[in-house]
Amino acid sequence: MRTLRGMMTVAGLSVLAACGGGKQESGAAASGGKTFTIALIAKSSTNPVFLSGKQGAEAAAAELSKSEGVTVTIDWLTPPNEDGTVQAQRIAQAVDGGANAILLSASDAGKVLGAVNAAVDRGVPVMTFDSDVADSKRFSFYGGDDAAMGRQVMDELATQMGGKGKIAIFGGNQNAPNLQKRVNGVKEAAKKYPGMTIVNAFYHAETPQDAAAEVLRVMNAYPDVNGYAMIGGWALFTQTLLTDLNPAKVKIVSIDALPAQLAYVDKGLAPVLFAQPTYSWGYVSVKTIFDHVYKKQDVPAHVQMDLVRVSRDNLGAWARQLKDWGFTDVDPKFLALPK
Amino acid sequence: MLRALGRSVARSQQLGLLAVLFVLGTALTLAAGTHTDPLSGRTVNDFLNAHTLIQMATDASAFAIMGVGATIVIISGGIDLSVGAVFALSGVVMAMVLRAAGPMGPAATVALGLSACLAVALLCGLANGLMVIGLGVHPFIITLGTMWILRGVAFVISHAESILVPAALTSVAKASMGMGTALYPVPLLVMVTTTVAGMFYLTRTVMGRHIFAVGGNAEASRFSGLNVGRITLGVFVLSALMAGVAAFLGAAFYGSATSSDANGYELYVIASAVVGGASLTGGKGSAVSAMLGALLIVMIRQAIRTLHLDQNYEWIIIGGAMIVAVVLDQGGTKLLARRIARAGSAGPSKSNPQASVVES
Repeated sequence: MRTLRGMMTVAGLSVLAACGGGKQESGAAASGGKTFTIALIAKSSTNPVFLSGKQGAEAAAAELSKSEGVTVTIDWLTPPNEDGTVQAQRIAQAVDGGANAILLSASDAGKVLGAVNAAVDRGVPVMTFDSDVADSKRFSFYGGDDAAMGRQVMDELATQMGGKGKIAIFGGNQNAPNLQKRVNGVKEAAKKYPGMTIVNAFYHAETPQDAAAEVLRVMNAYPDVNGYAMIGGWALFTQTLLTDLNPAKVKIVSIDALPAQLAYVDKGLAPVLFAQPTYSWGYVSVKTIFDHVYKKQDVPAHVQMDLVRVSRDNLGAWARQLKDWGFTDVDPKFLALPK
Repeated sequence: MLRALGRSVARSQQLGLLAVLFVLGTALTLAAGTHTDPLSGRTVNDFLNAHTLIQMATDASAFAIMGVGATIVIISGGIDLSVGAVFALSGVVMAMVLRAAGPMGPAATVALGLSACLAVALLCGLANGLMVIGLGVHPFIITLGTMWILRGVAFVISHAESILVPAALTSVAKASMGMGTALYPVPLLVMVTTTVAGMFYLTRTVMGRHIFAVGGNAEASRFSGLNVGRITLGVFVLSALMAGVAAFLGAAFYGSATSSDANGYELYVIASAVVGGASLTGGKGSAVSAMLGALLIVMIRQAIRTLHLDQNYEWIIIGGAMIVAVVLDQGGTKLLARRIARAGSAGPSKSNPQASVVES
């Protein structure tokens, strides 16, 4: 019976191996210096913003492959759920598997610190984006000033609410250092508005359904809250809040403005979204890595990422930008808008 | 005698798993590509290299160590869903205790950290066991509840912060032991040591035999004079202590502890035990097989990386492999029972059917 079990398992795995296309080479030297592999380890493969970053990385890799005479490949090693330990394991796997560089958005900076330093010590440079591992040996970070992002959200929400009212902060994963900074930024900016009260900061798993459920729970528990500061736009990937929230009563200002979220701008529930150019997470970072690692050029330790303010005024232009970046799910009615 | 030994080895629970690991490892070595090591300049197989093999053992160590504890619970006829939460709470408390204690010598740091981890785990195990016995509720429900309670406690007391642990712990967990740069065999050694201890406990001690007896038939065990309650309490304490050991190793190796650590690990741990042949109806299981089950799961995950397959298929593949293994195992058990029944009807039984399927 054990033998039978073994045979069945091996047979299955042999099929798996066959599906994998058999033997292949990785790493620059293995193909005579013509292949350059970047392991991309984002926080979660179920979060659309990271899928957008992956698209940008693949687009940059395709461009570089065409222009530089080297095949640049992206090895997508992002865990399905946020887990710093799994990220640390995948960093080690990327090094063991022959990656030439690693691009990382850290779920837990403390957990991946050792793995990042070990990778660099073993000759594999690491760049971070979105969520940094500042104390590590990574050579560069692409991202915004998270505290400034939080302040920007709060200032805009204050403008939309006329400087008075009660607000709730939605903070995503409480372990993510970049999100903690954004929440602190919101709280810091709120001190400028004496007419505004923060009832609390609410944390949740960074999935659309979990985030939307948290918003609904808060809405029921705090019926007098009329402003939502979202330091990440997870909840707006669902459509449920479009019907459950009243734009005459509630205003949302959120970071992120991907196709599924644009309906909230159109309806007036989220008069302003601050778009992270998530496509650029991959696109800019891959080009930076290539410049530094392959072309041996100096790059800044912090590549600044600025937010794009999206409102009804530029909804059409932003929708078309998303389409140009490869998003296939942009609503045609937004693409048809004049601006 | 040699023939008998050969038959015993051929029938052993671990041989099939070892064969699978060997054949899969060989297949991966052949199918894997190569890369140039950036430091040494040598061409290295993407799978068959010391770093990948040690890394696989490191990845499997948490599942395997907790899998030994889970196997003991499963053999007794119970289940423990709280091991991931015990891991998280033990690690968080240890990190907080060490932070509060401030700088100390390396030996004192390690001793205090390990003591804190094991003390928390012991309390969690006692809570699980006492509730299972005292409330008379199925362990699935009790440990499902404590899974959330303990993780919640870890979340509240740590404020969801990722707490760094002192470098002395990392130095121990990442000791190269003369193996070379970036090779860390300590998790592997702890995994093997724990497994051997579990095997010895289950097969060579009276308490271990009692656990098999309780899992095989609790009522019969009670009528035979065994203190089933005490045995049940013991298995939950052991399971939690294994989670404490894994937590210490995990926090020390990765350098920090958070309340979200080991989230979902309970399923991998139970999968390791079940793929290793443990029966969820109790009375059957093996510490060595649990370790091999953990290694198989990690090797399947590694196969996805090595073969550059779409990693989104990982859960499907692991889930499928587990169902296939368990179904085949059940089929084999039924076949064995039929053979024994036939042998019994042909003449006096020479063997105890339960004993023939327990730890080998």
